[in-house]
Amino acid sequence: MSSGHGGFVPRRYVVAEFADGAALLSGTKQVREGGYKDLDTHTPYPLHGLEDALGLKRPKIPTIVLCGAIAGAFIAYSMIYFMNVLDWPINIGNRPPHSPPANIPITFELAILLAGGSSFFGFFTLAKLPRPYHPIFESENFTRASIDAFFLSVELPEDGDADKALAAIRAAGAIGVELVTESER
Amino acid sequence: MAAPNHVDMPDPLEPHALIEGKHTDKTINDSLLHHVWRGAGKGWWLLFGVAVSMLGLLGVALTWTLYKGIGTWGNNIPVGWAFGIINFVWWIGIGHAGTLISAILLLFQQKWRTSINRFAEAMTLFAVICALLFPLIHTGRPWFAAYWLMPYPSVQGIWPQFKSPLTWDVFAVSTYFTISLLFWFLGLVPDLAALRDSSPSKTKRMIYGLFAMGWRGSGRHWAEYKWAYVLLAGLSTPLVLSVHTIVSFDFAVSVIPGWHTTIFPPYFVAGAVFSGFAMVLTWMLPARHFLGLKHVVTPKHLENMAKVMLVTGMMVTYGYVMEHFIAWYSGNPYEAGQFFLVRWRGPMAPVFWLMVTCNCVVPQLYWSKRVRHSVPMLWVTSILINVGMWCERFNIVVTSLHRDFIPSKWENYAPTWVDICLFIGTIGLFSTLFLLFLKFVPAVALTEVKELRHELAHDPTVDSAGETH
Repeated sequence: MSSGHGGFVPRRYVVAEFADGAALLSGTKQVREGGYKDLDTHTPYPLHGLEDALGLKRPKIPTIVLCGAIAGAFIAYSMIYFMNVLDWPINIGNRPPHSPPANIPITFELAILLAGGSSFFGFFTLAKLPRPYHPIFESENFTRASIDAFFLSVELPEDGDADKALAAIRAAGAIGVELVTESER
Repeated sequence: MAAPNHVDMPDPLEPHALIEGKHTDKTINDSLLHHVWRGAGKGWWLLFGVAVSMLGLLGVALTWTLYKGIGTWGNNIPVGWAFGIINFVWWIGIGHAGTLISAILLLFQQKWRTSINRFAEAMTLFAVICALLFPLIHTGRPWFAAYWLMPYPSVQGIWPQFKSPLTWDVFAVSTYFTISLLFWFLGLVPDLAALRDSSPSKTKRMIYGLFAMGWRGSGRHWAEYKWAYVLLAGLSTPLVLSVHTIVSFDFAVSVIPGWHTTIFPPYFVAGAVFSGFAMVLTWMLPARHFLGLKHVVTPKHLENMAKVMLVTGMMVTYGYVMEHFIAWYSGNPYEAGQFFLVRWRGPMAPVFWLMVTCNCVVPQLYWSKRVRHSVPMLWVTSILINVGMWCERFNIVVTSLHRDFIPSKWENYAPTWVDICLFIGTIGLFSTLFLLFLKFVPAVALTEVKELRHELAHDPTVDSAGETH
């Protein structure tokens, strides 16, 4: 398949549909315990217990957001301090150049801005989105994953036995299984 | 439990459901996307025509302001602030209900927010755009505004004055706009994927696919997404309180009688929520009818919104009473004169009494369940409340300024045609953006409604009204 195309090896995925969310969760668990790695679920809305079924670690977003908030507060306060105390102090009504209460609002706002920004951009970076093409979109049925269907996808290793994987996933309760192959572009 | 002579009538004490009728994920999906896929109707084009004409007025007034300068506005010493800041505060306040509904109600796990949050968040964005316009053009030369407002190293060698609430305002409002936009878009991504996947044509599929960023409902993504979303909500909650607090500091930090008061921050925030909910209702009532959203925006939602307006209306009333009490209790003749003479009996008194009627008396109607369930009554009262809240800002700004310490400084105020066109123009801008939103984006957060349906159907501890037992 890869001959003459600069060593392109298409990735292969088993895409399996389950009847409902509960079946998907138990099926995912079963397939994962059967030794398959690179599992993912595709659902129209988040299901309770997804993280356990997929065996995910603690989410990283909270830590990223905390760092963003601390950075924002630090940047804001030091900016104000530098500008109004060190670089160009102005005496207005004999107020002290460094007046902490007056610095609180902007420190707070910039902490929120950077924390919110790190939540948003952190998520898209972790999720590796935007990504317009993904091999799994080759499946005709898959358009229903955002509407009302519950899918499990398993990326097969290069030398993986597709038939064996299809059988294992069907045995885990899937109502439809399909092998999709990445197209070269 | 059922008596033998049981009559099949709805129990008046049974709460209304959050989602009416029997639905599956598919029927919810199709019913909520229906208004996007069906072509624009005559009604939409009619409203859009009106909105764009009003937007044209904004164009005329803006051009004239920029060509001639801000001397074309009616404000002049002593009324140095007028329509510009009234409209700014009014629009920002309207925007706050969106954040309140989407963020604060999410943190309090109020399930009824799900059907109205997308709608209200869009309103926030567009209202903040309208609000931002005023401080920008009031500088007279908005193309220089960025140089004056933003701390950047320049040859002038001078920095913004960080002890001024006006500088805080720049950071507060721009942060508010940015975070509202990010929050709105993050919530929209799964819905855009649903739009992409149910597109009737390839072009639409490509366009919505572009905005959906390749979302594939991945469980690995959802795990991080839920945190990103809830943290943005958690951050927006103190943000919305801080923004209107800082807006109120613009006044409260000065020494003008009628402005210099510590009750301003909470009273401004309550007023913002009050007017914001009113604006949500003004738009939601026609939208749920014309876009076919009655099964997800049920009487339960309308009733809850009316109750929030009743509560915030009374908080605002308490604010008015306290202002008067402190004016008397302080023994300051300027304060007392401002409240008991100027506001009650001065040349601007009609605006004050209109405000009292609209903000204090009208919401009392919401004690009645019949009013809370009557769509025409809710619609009319919501508009009255918006009028009342505009009058409140007029009272604070113009009425306080036109009679201050020295009688020789007293002067009357009247807006010019430019002021009025700018105001009507921003209503046009808001309406245009909102109508475009209703045309191209699902007005209800369908992913969240599907999740809610799943929860209501499968969680035995939650009833159809979303109450936990």
